[in-house]
Amino acid sequence: MKLDVNALGTFYRMAREGAGLAAGRLTHMTDVETQVGVTKLNFMRGREIRRDFEDSTEKVGVRVKLTGAIEGYSMIVFDRENAFRIIEALLAESNTDDVDVDNEFDEMTRSAATEVGHIMNSGFVDGWADVLEAVIDVSTPEFVEGRSADRFFGDIEEAPDDDDLALLFQSRIETVGTEIGFSHYLFPKRKSMASLLDRLRTSGGIEYDKLDGFDRMAERGAEEIAETATTLTGIDTSVEIRRLNFVSLETIPEQLPDETLVGVAFEFDGLPSGYLLFLFDEESAHEIVDAMVPMEVDEDGFGEMGTSAITELGNIMASGFLDGWANVLDTTIDHSPPEFIHDIGAAAVDPVIIQLGENQEFTFVFDTVVMADGKEFDCEVYAIPDENDLERALNDLEVDRIEDTPTTAEFQELDNT
Amino acid sequence: MKTYGSEPGAPTPVQVGISELAVSEGDDTLKSYGLGSCLAIALYDPDSGIGGLAHAMLPDGDAAENSDRKPGKYADTAIRALLRRMVEDGASYIAVEAKLAGGSDMFEFESFGEGVGQRNIAAARAELEKLGVPLVAEDVGGEHGRTVEFTPGTGTLVVKTANKGVENGVLEL
Repeated sequence: MKLDVNALGTFYRMAREGAGLAAGRLTHMTDVETQVGVTKLNFMRGREIRRDFEDSTEKVGVRVKLTGAIEGYSMIVFDRENAFRIIEALLAESNTDDVDVDNEFDEMTRSAATEVGHIMNSGFVDGWADVLEAVIDVSTPEFVEGRSADRFFGDIEEAPDDDDLALLFQSRIETVGTEIGFSHYLFPKRKSMASLLDRLRTSGGIEYDKLDGFDRMAERGAEEIAETATTLTGIDTSVEIRRLNFVSLETIPEQLPDETLVGVAFEFDGLPSGYLLFLFDEESAHEIVDAMVPMEVDEDGFGEMGTSAITELGNIMASGFLDGWANVLDTTIDHSPPEFIHDIGAAAVDPVIIQLGENQEFTFVFDTVVMADGKEFDCEVYAIPDENDLERALNDLEVDRIEDTPTTAEFQELDNT
Repeated sequence: MKTYGSEPGAPTPVQVGISELAVSEGDDTLKSYGLGSCLAIALYDPDSGIGGLAHAMLPDGDAAENSDRKPGKYADTAIRALLRRMVEDGASYIAVEAKLAGGSDMFEFESFGEGVGQRNIAAARAELEKLGVPLVAEDVGGEHGRTVEFTPGTGTLVVKTANKGVENGVLEL
């Protein structure tokens, strides 16, 4: 099974189109204004999908079996509370009594939830069928509720095993004013996926198994960052989220909050080349400055000392991150001097998007969040490689090569004078 | 970002994401968040109160193959698409005026070459001149981001910026 950017681009359009149709139908049904939030293709291991899923909230899912152009399962999952809110909106139309969120599902609410889920699943599927110009058949819907991942896809043969890397369609539909989000999962049969990819591919492509290299790059890079941050700031940090996304370039700024962020940006050159950004919220940035600069800093904003502390931290994190990549890929990657930013989050990303946007429409983003226990230290990492370089680097990668050289960033004395 | 089922006159401003453009009228505001090197192009007809906002990312759409599918992505094609849609909605071509914001160049990376922010500004100015649309106000260039909100009815373009030189960080064009 091989994939390339064109095939993934088509999948991305499918996800986007499907989310649009599903949102439209949700609005039609409930009169609640909706909009499609961020759409992503994620590559995730079965283990992480299950971990993500088991965040101890009660969930409600509606799943259907697909046959035809795509074979496998499509599933809509709501938090239980959100499911009830939608049912409320739906039943309000028919003037029934209030729905009590604390209640168990009775026949009426269960059938309402199933109907909503089914119509949204069908929305997605119709969107995909439109993009693929092919027919996909949908089975009758099945209602699932519970907390554990097992309840939802334990019995689905197509669901990835712990170590398998699955391609996940992730879409969010948001309702304007109220918070109703949901997740959507597609578990395709490997065979059906392989023939689809074959049809959509326009270039030689990457062996699917080589994506394992991606995952190891992401893993190594993230570990390096957390280690560096802990060593330099004394704040105990760990990797909270580590994900490999395939997105349209334009959606990257949309994911950033509309607030002022502090960041350090780099361009890197080698195999692959690309851009690397570390972004902190202002509170975290202040915490870092406090931890790194021993004397009291009483300056407006971040001042010279604060700026240089954060820049230095970014610089060492970048070296560690890219060394981690270079080690997995067995290549050399150099990076530019750091550029400090203190600006609206999206504005810090858009120059990079523009630069890549001249030649490519989509990109892989290595999305990492490092957090600290008890203290404010939230760092979002965006690593955006040039797609041709990345494809080349991955193709050169020998999947079986066991790399056991540990990579460690070198720490130099910080000059705080 | 496309909103499904939105009613006219809804109080929330319509978000115009990167490469998108939107047309509205009167008090229905249009908003673009976090412009860096991207350029916000606001066109409006003061007589009819019809206007539009584009969030362009690159200068030259005529040289790109996908500009038919995504006219909002490029400064030149975005201006033409906005004008066309406004005229379709009843705006008068000869009355239309333009305002620009954005086009910063915040990084000095080797690969960036000549700043793309500057190139976006130049492309928009050239296209406006070619079409005979007067550019009545602008807040462009520099090294800081901007968030803009545009009200077609009044033609007011409010620019929020991280630029410390601007009082309260808010400019009204």
